[in-house]
Amino acid sequence: MSAQLRSELLKQRSIPTSLGLLAAMLGLVVFAVLLHGFGLPAESIAGSTDQLMVLGRGEFLGALFAALLGAMSITGEIRHGTIRPTFLVSPKRGRVLAAKVWASALIGTGFGLAGSLIAAAVGTAALRARGIDVQLDGVDYALLIAGGGAAAALWAAIGVGLGAIVRNQVPTLVGICAWLLFVEGLLVGDVANIAEVGRFAPGALGEALSGQDPGTLLAPGLGGLVLAIYAAAFAVAGWVATTRRDVA
Amino acid sequence: MITASSLTKRYGDLVAVEDLTFSLEAGTITGFLGPNGAGKTTTLRLLLGLAEPTSGKALVFGHRYRELEHPARRVGAVLESNDFHPSRSGRDHLRALALAAELPASRVEEVLELVELDRAAGRRVKTYSLGMRQRLGLAAALLGDPELLVLDEPANGLDPAGVHWLRTFLRGHAEHGRTVLVSSHLLAEVAQTVDRVLIIDRGRLVASARLDEMAAGGRTLEATYLELTAGGGS
Repeated sequence: MSAQLRSELLKQRSIPTSLGLLAAMLGLVVFAVLLHGFGLPAESIAGSTDQLMVLGRGEFLGALFAALLGAMSITGEIRHGTIRPTFLVSPKRGRVLAAKVWASALIGTGFGLAGSLIAAAVGTAALRARGIDVQLDGVDYALLIAGGGAAAALWAAIGVGLGAIVRNQVPTLVGICAWLLFVEGLLVGDVANIAEVGRFAPGALGEALSGQDPGTLLAPGLGGLVLAIYAAAFAVAGWVATTRRDVA
Repeated sequence: MITASSLTKRYGDLVAVEDLTFSLEAGTITGFLGPNGAGKTTTLRLLLGLAEPTSGKALVFGHRYRELEHPARRVGAVLESNDFHPSRSGRDHLRALALAAELPASRVEEVLELVELDRAAGRRVKTYSLGMRQRLGLAAALLGDPELLVLDEPANGLDPAGVHWLRTFLRGHAEHGRTVLVSSHLLAEVAQTVDRVLIIDRGRLVASARLDEMAAGGRTLEATYLELTAGGGS
């Protein structure tokens, strides 16, 4: 493991923000899954696609919070000024950004796995408690959890890249939330005539990667591949922005 | 050691630094003076690779800063007094930098002792006084035991004991053959600490001389400074 990566991992471990994000994510996962699992009428969650949607809240929130974590890894340094000592010690800024992408992807994987596992466990328990037949098999569960980890890792890289481009913390975090919670919902679901485009939106790709909505979304492998292209594009754009622009 | 040649930085129509040429002598403390907004911090950012010059060159040990391998072992710098995450401990701040610089963790404890922060090191930086933050910043700059120190207004916010400590520290540093570039507003303090002065005004170098030359003929550094920067700044 490179020295720069170890430094970035220590930075994330040594502030309470990372644990706070994890706790907030897990709380929301439990809340969302219980709300869907107990709140929806039984016939709405009898089929496997509907059940995947409920258990997939783990993947969705894992990706969202991993993106926030990745974005904060760079915008937090800019906000608090630690970017200056960071770049004084490591003036090859591309290496710093690469280490931030890897560190955030690693921790993001943990977020995604934890969120997906909790969602699968709580969701399954909720369905059973209501006497609803669980239509999912081992492959579905494996895909939900592994795909949730992978989607969060890739979203963490998107977060780092976006943060490096925008630099200002609040607009970056608001932008990520607005995109995943609102804009994509319109693209994929509500505005039906652009659903074809919406499948290629990055949030929908994360859901595809974890096997959700198989009739509408891309296959998991293809979804993961396209999401990886997004992640690489954001990371490269962030790298270009970081190496070219002056540090205040 | 440090060479600036025709260094110029413009932001649109605003000229922050214009045609600055100077070099630093090894083993000396150089005071970098000028009114607010004269371009001192911009010059330091150009030297340290945080900003790119519009034209001209800024070299440190013969290289652009961004091309130095292991820069922390050659140059230590503090640009702002509060470049810390408030919720991170002083020790973790230094450990993260030491990891990136590939320096041993034992070095973190050494510099903490050197700046007399060893007992506060486990506390979050938000509980530190301004003087403690200044010393933590200095500790970070000293991690790699560098030959060259670059400090922007290091005495700001220090109490008299802190200023005395800093002056003794910088003197000791230079006596070991090392070099210091220190920007400051505190002329009386500068007059007690530095060997040479560079004065800039409105982005241009207006003086570069030994301190005894600046204060020759019974004149004070302050009188010479005010004359050279008359009409500039606020």
